[in-house]
Amino acid sequence: MSSTGFTSPFGANANPFGAPRIDVGPMHRVAEEDESENVASPTTHAFGQGPAAEGLTFQHTFGGDAASSQLEHSGPRSPPYLDTYPAQYNFARRTSVSAESLKPTSETYDNWVPPFSPKTPEQLERLKKAISGNFLFKHLEEEQSSQILGALVEKRIPAKDIKVITQGDTGDFFYVVEKGSFDIYVNSKSALQPGPDGMGNKVDTISAGGSFGELALMYNAPRAATVISAEPGCILWVLDRVTFRRILMESTFQRRRMYENFLDTVPLFSTLTPYEKSKIADALESKKYPPGHAIISEGEPGNSFFLLEAGEAVAQKHGVETPVKHYKPGDFFGELALLNDAPRAASIIATTEVKVAMLGKSAFQRLIGPLEGILRRERYVGIKSGVEDTDPLHVPKA
Amino acid sequence: MAATVAPSQSMMSGGGGLHPLQAQGLHAAQRQHQQQQQQKQQQGQNQQPHEDVEPFDVQNRHLTINDFVRVRTLGTGTFARVVLVRPSHGTEAERSKVYALKILRKTEVIKLKQLDHVRHERQILADVSGHPFITSLVASFSDHDFLYLLLDYIPGGELFSYLRKFRRFDEDMARFYAAEIVLVLEYLHEQQGGIAYRDMKPENLLLDADGHIKLVDFGFAKRLGNNDNEHPVETYTLCGTPEYLAPEVIHNKGHTTAVDWWALGILIYEFLTGYPPFWHQNPIEIYKQIVEKPVIFPHDPPISDEAKDIIRQFCTVDRSRRLGNISGGAARVKAHPFFKGVNWEAVANKQYRGPIIPPVRYPGDAQCFDVYPEEDAVKDEYTSEMEQKYDDYFKDF
Repeated sequence: MSSTGFTSPFGANANPFGAPRIDVGPMHRVAEEDESENVASPTTHAFGQGPAAEGLTFQHTFGGDAASSQLEHSGPRSPPYLDTYPAQYNFARRTSVSAESLKPTSETYDNWVPPFSPKTPEQLERLKKAISGNFLFKHLEEEQSSQILGALVEKRIPAKDIKVITQGDTGDFFYVVEKGSFDIYVNSKSALQPGPDGMGNKVDTISAGGSFGELALMYNAPRAATVISAEPGCILWVLDRVTFRRILMESTFQRRRMYENFLDTVPLFSTLTPYEKSKIADALESKKYPPGHAIISEGEPGNSFFLLEAGEAVAQKHGVETPVKHYKPGDFFGELALLNDAPRAASIIATTEVKVAMLGKSAFQRLIGPLEGILRRERYVGIKSGVEDTDPLHVPKA
Repeated sequence: MAATVAPSQSMMSGGGGLHPLQAQGLHAAQRQHQQQQQQKQQQGQNQQPHEDVEPFDVQNRHLTINDFVRVRTLGTGTFARVVLVRPSHGTEAERSKVYALKILRKTEVIKLKQLDHVRHERQILADVSGHPFITSLVASFSDHDFLYLLLDYIPGGELFSYLRKFRRFDEDMARFYAAEIVLVLEYLHEQQGGIAYRDMKPENLLLDADGHIKLVDFGFAKRLGNNDNEHPVETYTLCGTPEYLAPEVIHNKGHTTAVDWWALGILIYEFLTGYPPFWHQNPIEIYKQIVEKPVIFPHDPPISDEAKDIIRQFCTVDRSRRLGNISGGAARVKAHPFFKGVNWEAVANKQYRGPIIPPVRYPGDAQCFDVYPEEDAVKDEYTSEMEQKYDDYFKDF
């Protein structure tokens, strides 16, 4: 059972984990308590020069009876070399966080629709501006963004000194200031205390266009500050976490399933496992084009594959008057670019506003490996695919 | 060797330091045990002292908290506490065995909306029990207020404690732990059919007596489902530890087992430098960094190019480029230059020697664990309405 008998096949010096260094020896493990068990710091090169080599002993950390170590460990543990940590680094144990579980509507069948409260175009503009710089909103797709803007609810704070957020309380809402201003107070005891100075020190004031409470959009954590209205007649826009996260989830979930369904219809991918197709669905990037835009240009090198999500497009070839093919949502084109480097054999022109999901050849190869290998899994070449027959982008091999 | 029995003062001490309800339970257990002993002594004067002791079979009986006595707390969380316990009865050999008992309070589980997570934890632990680098579930049971998971006791303590003590690990040490973790992730992701662990961090890695890792706390582990077309379905509930969250979790883009590879990159960074790449007093600032900033390495300590590369490849926002998630999966990770020369079969067979041998003096020794207060704050009552509404969720325990 002992691991000492194992010799690295690469020789002692080639042990990828280095020579065993921090070892108090099997006998010492059951040693008497008064025998010091020297364990050198793994970062000390002096290790191996005997037990006295500036070793940290476990006695200091773990040893002794429970009573004495209880004193040592009350509060966050101080590691050695404290000065070599970045300033303010909190070296204590980190607590896990978790939001409530989120399941898509298709699994829960509760017909959830995002709440909607109407806003004037000016209000919408102000809101958009207020959240545009926020990292939680920056990456949103247009549809998600407009659903979230629609979901924000107005809340009027008529008087001064009304607490909107109380430090230490649970947090479920994010706020955007539409009108007026709010003062932020922090009590060093991490919670509002009774008495006149219970809110602690004023650290900031947030005015129209500002926002606060964004952590509540991620999970329920105790509020880190108290926020009160600094003047009468303030107006806030409010968004709750479940609505926010659910809007993001539902749209992503639906789009992913749609992509997977599309991918199931691509003959070239017929030998991919569902797992591989899911990875492709995950890597697809949405792109929009205006009517008349060439998504693919004839003669140019091909390096992406496209799924048509919304809108319509046509394939056109030089010297041919009428479109050689029409595309509608669910159709795909350009998949041969994943297979070879041949120039595009036709142009694909958007005839309406279109939305495509695209996948680059390199992303495909990173996720799945070279397509040639995939084709070899089964005799794809022999499958009656329809691609060769109908895809004008296909260049027959010489 | 194991004959020494830990001086378990707490089990005989007054209820003051105990979890209120457990204090009751333990006292009841002690009374019951004493009564049994007295009865036995009265009944059979000429019997051998141990022959009539009913054996304690931890596997095949309906366990209750009274079957155990507390030695001491090994760790605490928001709604759970892990306690070192030993059986309250049975033969002497059985009573000298120790276990880690994870105690979850139903009211807190409900209040923190962790019902699904707790159920997954029990089920997944049962599914993966027996893997050399994962803590084994021995049994589970419940009573009116609590859910219990009885686990193997891993005496070496948290890798976290050693990492903070040593400030940081050198690359050989980091490689050793990372290699064992790679095998755990390969097992969970690829051999167990898509289990995402979702809470990788040094706090959740224990060392066994020989210094090999054991992954503990499957509270956020999730078996990813499949839809009607057999496509695996991503999951959306935000969970994990702030410094270790993957960008797709923060942005709620739906996440998969790829989050564990991201976290492994953070972990290797923390092994080598002593702190994670993204940290701040304010969690929001951590999240901003995770989604917007690249991983930056300090000048001191110097970090090898291979280590930097594997960290960068794990901590890649684009999942179509993230090592572990790209084609080849874990095999690709194992082939990375950082692991050059590693004999993976030897890793799996624990043939490499652990770089830290924990100072464990006897099997029930808890000196490698920090000491925690034994009492809980006053908690809400588990009412009969809650019982009616929620007890069905706990029926698997």
